[in-house]
Amino acid sequence: MTFDASIYGKRTLDFIERIRQLDRYDDLSREIVSELKWFGYSSVTSWSMPRPGEDQADCLLINTRPREYIARYIEKNYIVRDPVVTELRRTVDPFSWSDLRAKRSLSRSEKSIMDEGQEFGATDGLIVPIMTPSGSLSVFSPCGEQPNLSSRARAAVELIGMFSVGALKRAVTKHPSNERARAPLTPREREIMQWVATGRSDEEIADLLTLTPRTVTWHVENAKRKLDTHRRTHAVVQALRFGEISL
Amino acid sequence: MIVVLSGRERNTRGDLFDRYFQCHYRVFIRGKGWRVASVNGREVDSYDDEHAIYFLDLDGPQVAASIRITPTVKSSLIADHLPQLIENGEPARAPTIYECNRLVMPPSGDNRHNKSSLIGAMLQWCFARRLTHLHMLIDAEALPEYLELTPLTTPLGLPQFYGGGPEVPTGGACMAVRWPICPQLLDDVRRYGQTESDDRLRGDEVMPRISSDRIH
Repeated sequence: MTFDASIYGKRTLDFIERIRQLDRYDDLSREIVSELKWFGYSSVTSWSMPRPGEDQADCLLINTRPREYIARYIEKNYIVRDPVVTELRRTVDPFSWSDLRAKRSLSRSEKSIMDEGQEFGATDGLIVPIMTPSGSLSVFSPCGEQPNLSSRARAAVELIGMFSVGALKRAVTKHPSNERARAPLTPREREIMQWVATGRSDEEIADLLTLTPRTVTWHVENAKRKLDTHRRTHAVVQALRFGEISL
Repeated sequence: MIVVLSGRERNTRGDLFDRYFQCHYRVFIRGKGWRVASVNGREVDSYDDEHAIYFLDLDGPQVAASIRITPTVKSSLIADHLPQLIENGEPARAPTIYECNRLVMPPSGDNRHNKSSLIGAMLQWCFARRLTHLHMLIDAEALPEYLELTPLTTPLGLPQFYGGGPEVPTGGACMAVRWPICPQLLDDVRRYGQTESDDRLRGDEVMPRISSDRIH
């Protein structure tokens, strides 16, 4: 489907106007996802590049990619091999996945990381780096099966990304109770929390899963942090609430 | 000290204007490599006419920073040459819309305070004259900087390539943005530069930090 080139400008300006009226994270997320769908993007992730020592899980601003994909990405530490991340160290200009594939000869592991997007129906995507004057970098990354990557559409989505990131950051700052993007539990964390929900101690879970108690405790602490709680029982409640575990 | 000049004062304030045009030659031709006309180390363009308003931040005899605004009904780079950058359906020209351009800042150091003072003075002038908007033609990659200065920065359309686009050394992407002239904008600019607030925004009262010369 092709559109009159002027429609991209009008849609983008209307979108910017709409999100300016919103200050709740959920409303903003809904609006952003809906607008990206029009451009053929089925998922979006946005994050701030973690500073040294900062946990990747704390940097997610919005995510609609499958939780399992994000969990695997973090667990396997793809960030050190992801060619998108490598490219972001070389440029602050936006690029698409196909731009990257055409520009660089990717190693097998790099191709494998990029191809994992096909598991959730994404064959191409756009990477929009957003550099603030103070030097911090956020990335807005929508993807889909056949997104519109015409030059006008890309210009539109780049602008959508910039204003979306700003709006989401303001919403999170203004209303800290807003539910922001939460890093999903890894499969192991989920498994352990399932046992925690049955009332088992860390030592008992370690015996059941043939792990050391220290390892179990480490996973439980990670899960509690992701579920934004300090208490074990509340972590179970949160995990149930977010659908990470079931009874 | 910030001085406000009108293009109509070219003859009576010749010394200040001469320093301003020399500064432009240094910054835009020697510094940025612009290929525009110049005479004897002074750069004057077609928008330096009687309708332009100039805000100069003087550091002794030197023009440390400056900015120019022009009434869009008389002269507008966007309306004259790049009307396609405005995609919101609104007119590029109106009696209450001025266009702001040729921002010059000191080349080094943290310019936030200087920028805030200069832009703040310009906004006070605009506010006192009941202007509604300022239009600007900017490099698209500078948009985050403008948004940091004030989230009220609003694109008027999508960025468009010039000179072959950003992948070419002499190319890039430009876009039109605007600011609404309102107290919130002034607050944002002051907060950005941590400059002191001044609530006396009324009528044609001239702010003490601005030269006591009156424009009208």
